[in-house]
Formats: sequence, structure tokens, C-alpha cells
Amino acid sequence: MAAFADLNVANTNDKKKLQSVIETAAHLGYSTVAINHVVEVQPKKQEIGKPSCVSELFDNFPVVQGKSKPIKVLNRLTLVLSDPSHFRQTADFKFFDIVAIYPKTEKLFHAACMSFDVDIICVAATEKQPFHFKRPPVFGAIERGVFFEISYAAAIKDSTMRRYTISNAINLMEICKGKNVIVSSGAEKPLELRGPYDIANLGLLFGLSEGDAKAAVSTNCRAVLLHGETRKTALGIIHTMKKSQPKEKQEDKEAPASKKAKLDAI
Amino acid sequence: MVRFKSRYLLCEVCVSNHSDLRLLDDQSVFSAVRTAVSRAHGDYGAALTNVSFSVKYLNAHTGVVFLRCRKSHYRILWSALSFINSLKNRGQCVPCFFNCLYVGGTIRTCQKFLIRYNTRQLHRMLPQCRSEEERLEVRRAVLSCSINSFGNEEEEDDEDEEHKE
Repeated sequence: MAAFADLNVANTNDKKKLQSVIETAAHLGYSTVAINHVVEVQPKKQEIGKPSCVSELFDNFPVVQGKSKPIKVLNRLTLVLSDPSHFRQTADFKFFDIVAIYPKTEKLFHAACMSFDVDIICVAATEKQPFHFKRPPVFGAIERGVFFEISYAAAIKDSTMRRYTISNAINLMEICKGKNVIVSSGAEKPLELRGPYDIANLGLLFGLSEGDAKAAVSTNCRAVLLHGETRKTALGIIHTMKKSQPKEKQEDKEAPASKKAKLDAI
Repeated sequence: MVRFKSRYLLCEVCVSNHSDLRLLDDQSVFSAVRTAVSRAHGDYGAALTNVSFSVKYLNAHTGVVFLRCRKSHYRILWSALSFINSLKNRGQCVPCFFNCLYVGGTIRTCQKFLIRYNTRQLHRMLPQCRSEEERLEVRRAVLSCSINSFGNEEEEDDEDEEHKE
């Protein structure tokens, strides 16, 4: 069975709410969940807060439905930007496992697809896309291994948002032909989550083919996680760990390299 | 042989507090699904649910629902299920969501899956129970799924699997 992942769980300060969302995700069958910290970058202040430690949330992580391993929780950062010059890679990025960007302008979208070091580019779900997608940046992003994300929580809440989400999604699919797409919830409450097979079906509404829709929830998410991991390593070959014995270090050296080669080959 | 083929969607209704689960009712589920399909797919969707959509089985203790629809249209129904936010029952509004567990061609295959799923649920929930009474209650609630309406064989199967544990 494929490992499903939900890479967008909204971060709240209420610990109990976050715990209940993660428990529901484990009950539905998601093996990995990423807590999303959204930051609007202003030119004056350049610091981005540190994320709270994941192990503080639970003493025992809930076990995933259908498997015997506990659910894995990661941290993710989303930057909402309108100007390419505001993007600066600070040292704070290393605290987050995944980095995403929400472009508001065409120039930024182009720059993000071609040159920025991000894992995910978010597609607008709550408003009409202010710019049209063009083929060159989208294909450039696909070659680099950057993924496009559609989030469905807005579609569930409100009818007008549903129209925006579906039209933006179909717009994207026409150009990228279903490659490099992930679908995730933007859930703030446990009632806004949906099971992975239900999401694969929603993908059909967005214009994905059956195989692509299932991949959007499983294999593409795994590729994003690996892409994020390789940012912490040096060229994807060396992975440092604290208190590691030489044998362990060698195993870590081999694994990311082969996975990176797989990503490059796509 | 020409016959009407149908698909049975095995769904679980998830609520935030368990006490609300007892309010589940055939009629409320039926009307909720119908409104969701007509909102998502318009008049075409509403017409589809008129044809052969029905709620076949409902278990208020665990929230398991069997929905039946034509084989040619089950995807449309399934995609609209994700948009259901709440159920209305005699004036009360229960916030919930539908989680589709399995799609089968016959009720028997759905039941076989449900038995396997329930045993897995038991494995997950029993270690967390603290007292013997809780355990008995949990067992009873989960076992009550494969009941009377569909014959006694399944019930015996389930109990046998229980004893083996």
C-alpha cells in the first residue's frame, strides 16, 4: 500500500486542536503530516520565527490506520511574496523540512519556478489567479523537481471558493498535463480533513487522470519530502547526524544519492 | 445475461464527539448526500441520485454506512461525498465528514472488507482501554456491525476471529 501524506496542516497556537487534527489524519491513513507556518515576508524585518519542536506535541504519536508505525510530523514554511528581491535564503530555513512559496505576481512565479530553492509552489485556492500560467516557467519547474500544490480546505467550506479552486486547478492541469502536482488539505479543524482515496477522487474533478490523482497524494508527496531532505545535505550526498557511527554514516551517504539520481532522471 | 450492475460505497461517518453519532438516521444521510450531489454537479447530479441511489445500511454505533448507486455514476457520487460538511437530523445540525473506505460490487465483498477493517480497529483500540468493562463495550460496539440483516454466517466468522485472538 502506498504511503499517503498530507503536506499542509495549518499551524495554530492551540495545542489541543493541532493534536486532534493529527489524530484524525492518523485515523484516516496518512503516514506523514507537515505543519504549515505561513509567513508574509516584509522587506524590513527579515527574521522568520523558529518552528516549535515536533516532539513537544505528543508523547506517543498516534499509529497510522492500517500500518504499525506512528505518524510522522514535519515542519513546513510557506512564504507569501510579491517581489522576487524580497526572497533571501536565511539560516532559519534549516529548521523547516519543506519550504514552499505562494507567488502573488507573474514575475515572482517565473523566478520561483526557474531559480529559487523551494520545494513547493502553491496555487491560489481562495481567489482568482491574478496571472496566467505560461508554459516555459511551468516546464522549467517540472524539470527541476519543484511541485505545484492545490489545497482543498477552502473548496469544502464555501461554494464560491470551490469555483476558484477548481478553475485554478484546471488552468494548471492544462499546462502541466498532470505532472508534478500534489493535493493537500489546508485543514485548521479535524473536520476539514478527508481520506486519501477521497482526495484522489477529487483530483479527477481537478482534471487529473486516475493514476496522476493517486500519485498526487502518495508518490509525489514522497518526492517533495526527499527534495526537502536534500536541501539539508551537501549536494544530496552527505548527510550529517549527531552521534553517528561510521557504519550509519555510510548508509546515509548512499541513500540520498540514489534518490537524488531518481529525481534528476525525471 | 443482462442485469443492472451497481456499486456499493462503504463509508464511515466521522464526528468530533461520539455522542452525536447516535443521532444518525437513514433519512438525514440520504438528504445530505442528495443536496451535496446537486450542489456539486447541478441538475445532472440531482437526476442521477433519483435513479438508483439508496442508503442500504447504517450503524449508529460505529458510523458505518452502505450507499448504493449505479456502476456508471459512482464516481460522480463519490466525488460529491467529500463536500458534505454536516448532517441535519430533526432540526439539529451535526458537523461531520464522510470517509469512504471501500467500493465493492456486491454487499458481500463490502462486508468481508468491513470484518477485516473491524478486527484491525479492535487491535488499535483495545490496548488503549483501561478497564475490562471498556473492553467489553468496545468489542460489543465493533462486533455489532456484522449483524442480523445480512445473515448469521458473518457474525460467526467475526466471533471466531475474536476467539483466536
